[in-house]
Amino acid sequence: MHWTEQTETMVKALSETQKQMWKNWCDLMPGVPSPTSVYSNVANQISEEAAEGFKAWTAESGQVVKDVAERLLTTQSEMLRFLELSLRAWKAIAPQIESGEDWETILRNFTENLREQLLQFPQETQKAFQDIDELWRLYREQWKGLVQPWAESLRRAPWHAGQASTGNGSALIEFTNLYWDAYERTFGRMLESPSLGYTRELNEDLLKGFDAWLVYRRASFEYQVTLCETWVQAFEEFMRQRVALAQKGETVPGVRKLLFLWIEVVEHVFAEVFRSEEYIRIQGNLVNTATAYRLCEREIVDAFLKTSHLASRSELDEAYRRIYELGKDMKELKKSLQAIKGELSTPISHEAAGGKPPDLPKDTA
Amino acid sequence: MQFPLLLNPHETACELIDLNRKVLKGIENLSRIREQDIQAGASPKEEIYREDNLVLYHFTPMVDQPFRVPILIVYALVNRPYMVDLQEDRSLVRNLLKLGMDVYLIDWGYPGRADRWLTLDDYINGYINNCVDAVRERHGGDPINILSICQGGTLSLCYTALHPDKVKNLITMVTPVDFHVKEGFANLWAGCDAGPKGMNFDALVDAFGNIPGEFMNLGFLMMKPFQLGLGKYLEMIDILDNEEKLRNFLRMEEWIFDSPDQAGEAYRQFMKDFYQGNKLIKGEVKIGGKPVDLSKVRVPVLNVYAEEDHLVPPPSSIALQRYIGSTDYTLRSFPVGHIGMYVSGKVQRDLPPTIAQWLKERG
Repeated sequence: MHWTEQTETMVKALSETQKQMWKNWCDLMPGVPSPTSVYSNVANQISEEAAEGFKAWTAESGQVVKDVAERLLTTQSEMLRFLELSLRAWKAIAPQIESGEDWETILRNFTENLREQLLQFPQETQKAFQDIDELWRLYREQWKGLVQPWAESLRRAPWHAGQASTGNGSALIEFTNLYWDAYERTFGRMLESPSLGYTRELNEDLLKGFDAWLVYRRASFEYQVTLCETWVQAFEEFMRQRVALAQKGETVPGVRKLLFLWIEVVEHVFAEVFRSEEYIRIQGNLVNTATAYRLCEREIVDAFLKTSHLASRSELDEAYRRIYELGKDMKELKKSLQAIKGELSTPISHEAAGGKPPDLPKDTA
Repeated sequence: MQFPLLLNPHETACELIDLNRKVLKGIENLSRIREQDIQAGASPKEEIYREDNLVLYHFTPMVDQPFRVPILIVYALVNRPYMVDLQEDRSLVRNLLKLGMDVYLIDWGYPGRADRWLTLDDYINGYINNCVDAVRERHGGDPINILSICQGGTLSLCYTALHPDKVKNLITMVTPVDFHVKEGFANLWAGCDAGPKGMNFDALVDAFGNIPGEFMNLGFLMMKPFQLGLGKYLEMIDILDNEEKLRNFLRMEEWIFDSPDQAGEAYRQFMKDFYQGNKLIKGEVKIGGKPVDLSKVRVPVLNVYAEEDHLVPPPSSIALQRYIGSTDYTLRSFPVGHIGMYVSGKVQRDLPPTIAQWLKERG
């Protein structure tokens, strides 16, 4: 059988398999609605619909069980997604390989297309940098939509890592956005609040925050591009290895094994990049610019809290600092007191022992 | 040439359907497991000392006359110490108790906003020292043995250098010592190479106060994002029909994502002085105003590292011998990763006797 023919057979088989898998879900979980649409994106459907079913299913379970069940589900849908992507690659390059063309060039062309797709979002973001009004709108939008609390956004990290591993470009971007989410708070209300108004100071803080936000977005863009590029590089390397092995007559016995091989390759390629000075610089810049923005954000929040007759973060920190120092002093005093008590209870006098009476702390003397 | 990805469409379809069934059945099993089914902590223990968030526990001995010198376990500030007593068949503590050891454990608790100003001085000269004194008081005031793990090992090295008279023997497990070893992502990312381009920990602490545990966890996940985000759950499919293995897996999951926040000032100093400055081996670390001189660690030292450790690369731990003053130094390793040091069957079997034997030989 030729490659093209084999690929077509595989695509059909996969489509049928997805139908069957989807049916299994529906049979098992009465809460999941029956599929009505065509099966063009079954993996996503499984993921989304079953996630709903999980909520009812694991309602009585603890958080760990819920998280694991969710990740298990993602793993399955990502397995399908990865297989689809691989098949798409083969479908594109198989006829050309059969016609005797250089497969490395064909593969490079394919991954170049893939790269363009993955980088689509960052490129759009990059374009937005040229329009200051649009940026200001985005900045304010960003504040208005800040609803994800820390724990929730980061708890989802493995989910995103899973998606990222199987070619979902937006997941790669979201993965980096998790860091951004960590700074998100519901300040939109403040900005929209008519009673607060825009004081000159607040405007200055907002503008300062805008500058910091711009710098952060650029750093985030650079980071996203690096991850996307690395992912494409890994996919190309994986396909190259598979073709080379196939030419020697070696094949992979099954989807799961294939995915494990993919993980091995992609992890290796990412590890190489993660070790590079360039990556360390880009990642450091991402964290530092995000932190700088966070500090600007705090000034704005502090101003808001002050206006609302609430203790600011800085004031609370200061109060905690004083409590900490008092606590430390207290511990020291207790220790000194304990030591003095111990010495006083010993029968040997200090003079006899050749020492001086202990200096009592002023408070206890 | 054969199609290089999959041999047979029919077999592939069967495999996917089969996996799908396994997952569905497995999730049914999962949904039956309750929080109490995966509680960690296998060995009975009592609280003997408490200070702020910290609790010092004493495990109930399993022999009539335990070894006379007690062991105090000092765990890292990241992650929770119950990993050393996860479950009955995966418990370093339990195995040490069975071998006649008398074991104490520091549980650091979860630092809250009020702990933002805690320094390494508070942890080392405060908490650890107070716990050592509390244990010594119960054992006639003599020096005790310290079994320190990961970052807890680094803190214990500082402690032993500053309070050599209170420590009889020191065991360091998967402990980072040379922070500029380039094999480890933590070392690289924290800035051993990046210099001013690396992460600005001053700004990070100023911005956050305490460093969120989730931030730490994300960093750990990024070291192996695909294996930890996807591969692990692919492997899990094979144990979905085995309730016991499933519970074990869930206990591990619970532990992995149970990351306490890091007290801001202590984190700042640890990242700047240890990771970025590598000051421990240069003798430039100061705790409570006093320099930490590793050459003052002259007690017998057993240094145990994991050969496949991706968090604390072996050379980082092995470096210890070059800087301490101990003439009685023993190095042991196990062919596992960082986490494997707690849960691998081989380590569970071989590490506790190694520790017990080493301690008994030294009285």
